[in-house]
Amino acid sequence: MIYLDSAATTLQKPPAVARAVHFAVGHLASPGRGGHPAAQRAGETAFHCRTLAARLFDVESPEQVVFTSSATHGLNIAIKTLAAPGDRVVISGYEHNAVTRPLHALGARVEVASGPLFAPEETLAAFEKLVTPDTAAVVCTHVSNVFGYVLPVETIAALCRRRGIPFILDASQSAGVLPLSLRELGAAFIAMPGHKGLYGPQGTGLLLCGEIQPATVLEGGTGSASALAEMPDFLPDRLEAGTHNMPGIAGLMEGLRFVSRTGLRRIRGHEEQLTALTVRRLARVSGVRVFADPDCACQAGVLSFQIQGMDCEETGAALARRGIAVRAGLHCAPLAHQTAGTLEAGTVRASFSAFNTPREALALAGAVEALAASRRNPPR
Amino acid sequence: MVYYLIVCRSLTYAQRTAATLERVGIGAHILRSPKLIAGEGCGYSVKVSERNLAQALTALARAGLSPKRVFIIAGDGSYREVRL
Repeated sequence: MIYLDSAATTLQKPPAVARAVHFAVGHLASPGRGGHPAAQRAGETAFHCRTLAARLFDVESPEQVVFTSSATHGLNIAIKTLAAPGDRVVISGYEHNAVTRPLHALGARVEVASGPLFAPEETLAAFEKLVTPDTAAVVCTHVSNVFGYVLPVETIAALCRRRGIPFILDASQSAGVLPLSLRELGAAFIAMPGHKGLYGPQGTGLLLCGEIQPATVLEGGTGSASALAEMPDFLPDRLEAGTHNMPGIAGLMEGLRFVSRTGLRRIRGHEEQLTALTVRRLARVSGVRVFADPDCACQAGVLSFQIQGMDCEETGAALARRGIAVRAGLHCAPLAHQTAGTLEAGTVRASFSAFNTPREALALAGAVEALAASRRNPPR
Repeated sequence: MVYYLIVCRSLTYAQRTAATLERVGIGAHILRSPKLIAGEGCGYSVKVSERNLAQALTALARAGLSPKRVFIIAGDGSYREVRL
């Protein structure tokens, strides 16, 4: 199978990830829940994982690195810390349901800073217009999970700092691919999954916490300050109630090691090359519409396309029959499709990881070309 | 041998403390805080030997990890808080 659905989950991982998961199941107990060697080993693994993440994302202290079950979990904590019912929250036009649904459930007043695809200046202008003193928070994705559009989050974060508005970054598609610094962004929170660009197992995520005391969305045992009825007021314990996902954390630690060792520049360069190659090939196929930044300057390793006259789900299924795994539909991001004008039809998304090859990108382009040709000239 | 226990609010804080001490060559061992000194319930301490305490406190202050409480383990096994 040619796996091109890494925007959902990277399937091929460094072999050390599976080894670490396997080891954890039989050897790592609960960190902070005992003085015996199995608990100590677990504690050391968790700390090492936090330390690697703190180094990769330029976080001052490993205590600010909180384990979550997903980026969605982290975004829920971040959003529910900063926004109350009726509060005004500004988001980009490319947000995932992991942002829009918590805001909807909360009853926040959501304002969308909308702008066309691959137009960072227009995106920034939209934020400049909407971020006002009565804004409770700004939430922005770093990279659109549908189109790979890299939003100008550095300048949006700078705008928030100037205006004193807390900034939440959804780094679901950028963590492990693009440089990220909590310190430089001055973000209140950065949420990310462990199972995409960080190559950890599913069920892992990280929430990087800035200076604001987070609200708890889950309360319970933490192995610390146990005599108190309230959750501890210090991180990471405040946000880590219940037993840790040690197999996940051990695997994530190896994923972080892989990313750190390989280097973001190399990973980004590789994915950029695959995206550019696919875009070039698809752009010359008649009846195929590719959503791409012409020079890939503000596009990560994610791209969407449509075949004229072919339902996107039909295209996805046809590609699956040819051994190519992509994702079709709305990608849990109806707002992004609405902004790009693809809400009705949806798109087919291909997304790359460090383990894909140019040959696989060409195989996708070839298969799409064949499908488009069969649509233009149906067999009699 | 006389030991000091540097009381930490969490396991992660204790791990940062121990890592900082080990970076400057001070042996530091993390253990669960004895119930008598744990204050708010379960907690962790970092154990350092008597001869290293002054250097440890300096290193921790430099790293922004100054301890809130330090206990000495007396010869009879009891704990006495040290005024910092």
